[in-house]
Amino acid sequence: MHGEPFGYEKPASLREFESLFAERGEDAKILAGGTDLFVLIKERLLAPRLLIDISDLPELRGISYDPGEGLTIMAGTKVAEIERSALVREHAPALAFAAANLGSNQVRWMATMAGNVCHASPAAETPPVLLAHGCELVIGTPGGERTLPISEFFLAYRKTALQAGEYLKAFRLPPLPARSAVAYQLRGLRRAMEIDMLNMGIYLELAADGVTVSDIRLAMGSVGPVTYRARGTEQRLKGMRLGEEFMAAAGAGVAEEATPIDDMRASAAYRNRVIGVLARRGLEQCLEQIGKGRGEA
Amino acid sequence: MKKLLTLEINGERFDVAVSPATFLVDVIRETVGLTGTKKGCGIGDCGACTVLIDGRPTLSCLTLAVACTGKSITTIEGLSRGTELHPVQQAFIDKGAIQCGYCTPGMILSSTALLAENPSPSEEEIKHGLAGNLCRCTGYVKIIEAVKHAAETMAKEAK
Ligand SMILES: Cc1cc2nc3c(=O)[nH]c(=O)nc-3n(C[C@H](O)[C@H](O)[C@H](O)COP(=O)(O)OP(=O)(O)OC[C@H]3O[C@@H](n4cnc5c(N)ncnc54)[C@H](O)[C@@H]3O)c2cc1C
Ligand code: FES
Ligand code: FES
Repeated sequence: MHGEPFGYEKPASLREFESLFAERGEDAKILAGGTDLFVLIKERLLAPRLLIDISDLPELRGISYDPGEGLTIMAGTKVAEIERSALVREHAPALAFAAANLGSNQVRWMATMAGNVCHASPAAETPPVLLAHGCELVIGTPGGERTLPISEFFLAYRKTALQAGEYLKAFRLPPLPARSAVAYQLRGLRRAMEIDMLNMGIYLELAADGVTVSDIRLAMGSVGPVTYRARGTEQRLKGMRLGEEFMAAAGAGVAEEATPIDDMRASAAYRNRVIGVLARRGLEQCLEQIGKGRGEA
Repeated sequence: MKKLLTLEINGERFDVAVSPATFLVDVIRETVGLTGTKKGCGIGDCGACTVLIDGRPTLSCLTLAVACTGKSITTIEGLSRGTELHPVQQAFIDKGAIQCGYCTPGMILSSTALLAENPSPSEEEIKHGLAGNLCRCTGYVKIIEAVKHAAETMAKEAK
C-alpha cells in the first residue's frame, strides 16, 4: 500500500520554512496533519518528492480575537483546538460545531483547517461555514502576504487559487454585525466519521426593523465540484421580509442553483430536495440566535 | 536513505534507523517490537493503530516516524504500572468489553485520552470521543459501560 518514497524536512521556524518552500516548492508538498495527504499517497494518487512538515511551527498556531478585526485562526491550528476554543464558541459557534463534526477525535487532533480548505474537496466540513462568515484568507507569498476572500479560493475540483510558492497562513473571520448569525447544517448517512452527503453554511443579517433581510449568504457543499454560494438566490432574497414567502424562496432558490450528481452517497434528486430543507433549517437557526442575542442585549 | 532518530515510547528511548516514508505504526510494531498497537485499515478509518502522542490520541498509520522526534509516545504497553492494570484496562475486562481484542488497544487509549480531558463524560460524549474506533465484535454497548465504569473507579481513586 506504500507509495513512492519521499524526502522529509521539518523547518524550525516560519522563516526557514519560507526559504525552503521557495527553493523546493515545485516538487514539495506541505505536510500539516497528513490526514488527507497520506491517504492520497497510500492510494497512489499523489507522489510528492519532498514533504515539508509545518505541523509544529509555533508561528502558525493559535486563535485570537480583536473587536475590530474579528477572529484570527492561524493555519496550523488543529481542528480539535478550534472545536474546543472558547473564542470560537463565542464568536463563531457554527464553526466550532463544524469542527466537532470533522472525522474522529484522532483525526481532529491531527488535522488542520488549512488542510481541510487546501485539499478543496466539495464535501469538506469547514468551507461552507467559512464562506458564510465571509472569511478572508491570509496567504503567504514569496517575500510577503496577500489576502483573498474565501469565495475566490476554490477554483475547481481540488484546485485552489494558491500560486506556486504560496501557502495558507491564517483565517480571518470579520466580527459579526448586530442582528446577524451564522449556522451550519449537514446531512450524512451515519453520525460520525463520514463524508457529508450535503452540507451548508448560512449567514443571515436583519435590518434595524428586525424583519427585513439586509444580507444573506448561502454556501453549499457536495452539490457541485467546489463549495460555492447560491449568489442568484442571495440577491433575490435581499430586501425581502421574513416569513413563509421568504423561506420558500430560499429553499427553492438553493435547490435550483445546486448542481449535484448521483454518487454512492446519494442521488442528485434526493440532494436537490434536501438542500432546500437545510437552507430553511439553517435560516431558522440563525433567527433563533439573533433573537437570543437581542434578549441578552 | 535511512535516517537515525530517537523515539520516546512509554518513557523509554529507542534509537532507530528508518526511511522518512515509514509510518509510526510499522516502527512501533516491527522495529521496536511492541505489537500491542494494531494495524487495521492503514488509512485512518478504524482507529486500531491509535497511540497517544503528547497525550493526544493519534493515528499511527497516518503519522511519519520521523515526525515524532522530541515527542512522548504512549502505546497500550505503557498504561499499566508494573503488573497492575490501568483502571481503563481493568474496566474493559470487568465489563466484558473485549471479544477478539483487535480494537481494544486503540479503544482503551482513546478512552484514556477522553477521561483525562473529561473525567465524567456523558454517554453522548463517550460516543463522540470513541467514534474513530471501530469494533466488529462487541456492538459498543459494553465498551460504553466500561468507560463509565472506569470513570467511576478513577474518581474514587482520586479521592
Ligand atoms: C478517517 C478520516 C475521516 C475524515 N473525515 C472528514 C470529515 O468528516 N470531514 C472533512 O471535511 N474531512 C474529513 N477528513 C479529511 C481530512 O481529515 C481533513 O480534510 C483535514 O482537515 C485535512 O487537514 P490536514 O492538516 O490533515 O491536511 P494534510 O493532509 O496535511 O494536507 C492536505 C492538503 O493541504 C495542503 N496544505 C496543508 N496545510 C497547508 C497550508 N497551510 N498551506 C497550503 N497548503 C496546505 C497539503 O499540502 C495537502 O495538499 C477525514 C480524513 C480521515 C483520514
Ligand atoms: S490502521 Fe490506522 S486507522 Fe486503521
Ligand atoms: S473486540 Fe473484536 S473488534 Fe472489537
